[in-house]
Amino acid sequence: MDAIPQLLASTILLGGIYALIAVGLTLIFGVMRVVNFAHGEFLMLGMYLAFWAFTLLGMDPYVTLVLGLPVIFGGGWLSYRLVMRPVIHASHNVQIFTTVGLSIALQAVALVLWSADSQFVRTGYYAVVVRFLGVALNLAQIAAFAVAVLFTAALFAFMRWSYTGKVMRATAQDRHAAALMGIDTGRVFALTWAVGITCVGVAGVVLAPIYPVYPSIGLQFVLIAYVAVVLGGLGDMFGALIASLVVAGVEVGGSYVIGTAWKEVLYLLLFITILVIRPAGLFGQRGAEVIGT
Amino acid sequence: MRSTWPAVTFFAAAALGPIVVRDAFLLDGLILILLWGATAASWNVAGGYAGQVSLGHAAFFGLGAYSAALLGTRWAVSPWIGLLVGAGLATGFGFILGFLSNRLRGPYFVLATIAFSQVLLIVASRWRGFTSGSEGIPVPFRPGFWTLGIADKRAWVYLVLVLAALLYLVQLYLERSRRGYQLAAVREDEDAALSLGVPARRLKVAAIAASAALTAACGTLWAQYVGFVDPYYVFSVDLSVRFCLAAILGGIGTPLGPFLGAALITILETSLRARFGGIGAGLVGIYLIIYGVVLIVTMRFAPQGLLPWIAEHRRRRPPLGTTA
Repeated sequence: MDAIPQLLASTILLGGIYALIAVGLTLIFGVMRVVNFAHGEFLMLGMYLAFWAFTLLGMDPYVTLVLGLPVIFGGGWLSYRLVMRPVIHASHNVQIFTTVGLSIALQAVALVLWSADSQFVRTGYYAVVVRFLGVALNLAQIAAFAVAVLFTAALFAFMRWSYTGKVMRATAQDRHAAALMGIDTGRVFALTWAVGITCVGVAGVVLAPIYPVYPSIGLQFVLIAYVAVVLGGLGDMFGALIASLVVAGVEVGGSYVIGTAWKEVLYLLLFITILVIRPAGLFGQRGAEVIGT
Repeated sequence: MRSTWPAVTFFAAAALGPIVVRDAFLLDGLILILLWGATAASWNVAGGYAGQVSLGHAAFFGLGAYSAALLGTRWAVSPWIGLLVGAGLATGFGFILGFLSNRLRGPYFVLATIAFSQVLLIVASRWRGFTSGSEGIPVPFRPGFWTLGIADKRAWVYLVLVLAALLYLVQLYLERSRRGYQLAAVREDEDAALSLGVPARRLKVAAIAASAALTAACGTLWAQYVGFVDPYYVFSVDLSVRFCLAAILGGIGTPLGPFLGAALITILETSLRARFGGIGAGLVGIYLIIYGVVLIVTMRFAPQGLLPWIAEHRRRRPPLGTTA
């Protein structure tokens, strides 16, 4: 029973970070109708960005976060121009395999540049633990959570109140109607992709002080993001946020009850169950999965 | 596309290979081309003909590899029986996957298949008592045909050639039979097919189960040939991608496409390995960069794959002397 506050706190911290990854994925799906199978690779690149800045320039990951923001956004925009733009109106299968190809290529680039070994960003505050109300938490994890919440909140505000956000939501609802209203949907797609990539890249930078980096680490996180995104309803940003907390809860609770070795099985089974019982997710439109969206 | 001559030429050339070539390195390449081609063709049964694009087929491949390896090492059972057990298990899992994901389309189905293969990966790599966990299983070499302990690579060529030819015939059946036309109808427009009385749901499940069983058979032979089963390889998403990449590159939903794609990929891989021999990670990276870029470029310019692309371009330019 005394473990419950600790488990709750861990769930919230972990869920916040998962949310930032999942929100970018679901934004891209919602507006562009593309499931980005290379999403985890951008997380991995974000982690390597932090690692590189730390070892070569001695830059703290949180400084990298601020200075690297334009780099991440630019990288996302560039990947859209080079890879996604030509297939934006193609069939689902073409888009799926284009992002799969992007994922393979990015992983391989990381493999050539940094080898398959795990790399670490050992900051001075690596092992600092904060105790608060009987709950012990890692400082880097708290910082990552804070950044994740900040970015997620900023994205929600942007989508809700800014004119550009409104344009993006209009495109998500009906891209043809949006185009008829004079919206340059091509630019909306480019911006959506770049914003989604920025979210996951930022998540990568703040995760770097917590987890080791290696070229295929993206898969581990992106699988969780897929679970969260489908559970929340593909394309539903608020749903993804809530679902991230649910998935984190399953992971934290599962690790506590049955041990860390089998925790992945839990959320994968949760994932399969959702896909079977209610593929549209908690808040999604029922039937979306059959219409093919 | 209707002509079988290119395929006859391909398989005849493969059959002549061991007679003309004695070099173990080239024979190894030929075996891998046929084996990966057969696996890609197995994927093609579901992904190409039925339109059930899966990124989790490594699960079935791994089931085949593990069944034979475990039965062989623990109870000294023949890999041929292991092959049947693996195919049987894969059929069962294929039915379950097909049944559960029946309503799912497009990205939802792909995500379901990835999750499914990841579950099997975790079971194989964590269930230490039974599967030896993440260490993998070395397949013991017991000489003889019944135990598949064959040292002669020429014999292996003919063994996998039989498998490859069988898969070609399966695909030819799907291309030309009534069942195959029904599957094509389901793939192109499931609702229209349903309204015309095509049992779409049942056909999809059957295609996935058949594809799973064939993939498992390829997995068994692969494990017996290579001699080692590593859970992080045989159940990986990368391996699943490899199957579909070969089929997509050569021509998705064509009988010869998977073999052409597998040939191109294997030649690229082995020639790079020969050139940079033993550099390790760096080489793997270069090969994979090309692999990813080829996939992106194929999707951009020839999403149907090379064979249909060639056929289309030949049609567009009629031979000289004919009137258009």
